[in-house]
Amino acid sequence: MNEEIIVLTDVVLITVIVQRGAADTVVRAAQKAGAQGATIFYARGTGVRQRHLGILGVAVNSEKEVVYIVASSDQADRIFEQVFVAAKLDTPGMGMIYMTHLEKMATHVPHDLITRISDHE
Amino acid sequence: MAKKLRYGDYLGAVRHRQRKLSYNAVVAHTRLSPRKTKLRPLDLYRLLGPYIGVRFAEQLMAVVPLASFLVLFQFGVLNSEVHGWESIALGMMAVICGLMLFMEGVKRGLMPFSENIGYTMPGKFSTPRVLGVAFVLGFMATLAEPAIGALKAAGSLVSRDGTPYLHLLLNERSDLLVLAVGFGVGLAVLAGMLRFIYGWSLKSLIISTLVPALSMTLFFSMDSRLEPIIGLAWDCGAITTGPVTVPLVLAIGIGVSAATSAEDNPLSGFGIVTLASLFPPIAVMSLGLALSFGDFPVLETAANIAAAPAWYESSPFDDIIAALRAILPLTLFLWLVQYWWLKEPVKEGKVLVYGITLAVMGMMLFNVGLDYGLTPLGSQAGGMVPAAFAPYPAIQDSPLYPYWTGIGIALLFALLLGFGATVAEPALNAMGVTVQNLTDGAFTKKLLIRAVAVGVGLGVALGVAKVIFAIPIVLLLIPAYLLTLALTVISSEEYVNLAWDSAGVTTGPVTVPLVLALGLGLGKAVGAQDGFGILAMASVGPILSVLVTGLWIRWRVKSNRMAIERINRR
Repeated sequence: MNEEIIVLTDVVLITVIVQRGAADTVVRAAQKAGAQGATIFYARGTGVRQRHLGILGVAVNSEKEVVYIVASSDQADRIFEQVFVAAKLDTPGMGMIYMTHLEKMATHVPHDLITRISDHE
Repeated sequence: MAKKLRYGDYLGAVRHRQRKLSYNAVVAHTRLSPRKTKLRPLDLYRLLGPYIGVRFAEQLMAVVPLASFLVLFQFGVLNSEVHGWESIALGMMAVICGLMLFMEGVKRGLMPFSENIGYTMPGKFSTPRVLGVAFVLGFMATLAEPAIGALKAAGSLVSRDGTPYLHLLLNERSDLLVLAVGFGVGLAVLAGMLRFIYGWSLKSLIISTLVPALSMTLFFSMDSRLEPIIGLAWDCGAITTGPVTVPLVLAIGIGVSAATSAEDNPLSGFGIVTLASLFPPIAVMSLGLALSFGDFPVLETAANIAAAPAWYESSPFDDIIAALRAILPLTLFLWLVQYWWLKEPVKEGKVLVYGITLAVMGMMLFNVGLDYGLTPLGSQAGGMVPAAFAPYPAIQDSPLYPYWTGIGIALLFALLLGFGATVAEPALNAMGVTVQNLTDGAFTKKLLIRAVAVGVGLGVALGVAKVIFAIPIVLLLIPAYLLTLALTVISSEEYVNLAWDSAGVTTGPVTVPLVLALGLGLGKAVGAQDGFGILAMASVGPILSVLVTGLWIRWRVKSNRMAIERINRR
């Protein structure tokens, strides 16, 4: 018999792009809203800083941090809102957030949990 | 009874309202009527708050510990208060704000030029032209160095009697002095570039410049009129390697070395800094020699001082003019090279203008702060130190301590000052990380910082002892540099690079004016001929300590290996 893989559905990926150094705020807000964890990577980007802010653009760091948050679709909206508010994304140059549906994901799921859920259904 | 609440109602109460808007509509709309973004005051605060806050805190961390150490020492150990503390505090604020603006200005306005020129120049220019640009850049960067202003401020603290040439160099002819220092740095950059092109080792370059420098020093010590210049000359080497020269010159140096040399040695970018602290002493001593041969009317200048200074020579105006004179030629030169010769377009012109404006404003503020904050504080603290061991009119029941205890306190104070100033230096921290990676962890960051700090501390203490006991500077400088010479010969090339550069890194724009003024104030109080030489000792100290640490590490690695072999053989 082949090994069984537990594939999770109803999963959402929230991506947040913020200035270098702001990822910790984002992750804290996301965890408070129920996210399990987050992946952060460094990047560099351009956008509002050059086009709209003019000389004020110097205050925005072109080095960015990209935060990946994988969440269940029930929690996603709450996390989305909390991060938006915590990272002050309504100010130009602060960054952006977007959300995409994931077809499926797989990771460690505790064994007793699986049996419990199966029994329930 | 438990109250019932629908989950949907709960979510509705907690939730933010969302309104959907098609991005297509947004794009179409902005294309029809492009407009500039309007910022709310809140947005301005959010944007500028962190931008300013981080940079302000950086300078605050550099200034406050040192300044409060001096104040505490005056207060606690010497039982006296800081005179005119209001203006000193304002001056310190000016120093912090000035440095903040200046550093950001250099980063935005000057560095882009320098990096660009460094990368594109070797491919487009012939070697002599590259060398010419390098020389002029080194020269002009020195004029823009904030700590150079400290020399002029220090000049007013030097007495005319007994040290005529020193007084002449620092007051009437201070422009010549600055030019000589700039010339020295220019030559150093030139030599550094030649080193990249022909692959000379730093070791041989150091030895071949140290020997003439030391023989000149020895020659000067024979002449009683020239002798006081020695301290100043060697101090100048420490002053030049500051926050403008080092990054500008390094940017060009790294570009040239990447373009010319086949081997990729990450340490090769250094070395120029080392030479930039050895050439200026030679240049300044040469200038002193030239002045002593030329028949300069040393004593007649007294008449000039009596005349009232013109409006452009009095306080804020001379600072403004000095700042403009320091920054604008450098900028103009960089722009000319890039635009006229390299035919490279200047990107982000607005940001460059912003950076240059900031740099000029920062320099002005820093100069003002130097006059009202750093120099008075340093010279006051220096002037009070003798009260610990000798009768001092301004302080009641001085000497406060028995003679030798007092001397011990003064030296301990100097040691702590040097040690503390070095540990707080951000440039050293950055260097420590590089070194740790390059030596595969054999030379840890902590070890480097401690070695350098101990070296600087001991150097400052020795320098203070020199001023108190009126030891001729030659007796300290020559043996110290001979020792470094010997250690340089037996050390490996990497540690030579590292050790000599650590001397340049430690003398930042806050430490230099404070220590200079401290030495001069102390010199005046004990009636010494001049108070220079402390910085010179503070820059030879770390060279020695890092070289010794390097040798120790090599020895330890070797003896470890031998021990392992011995065990294996059994």
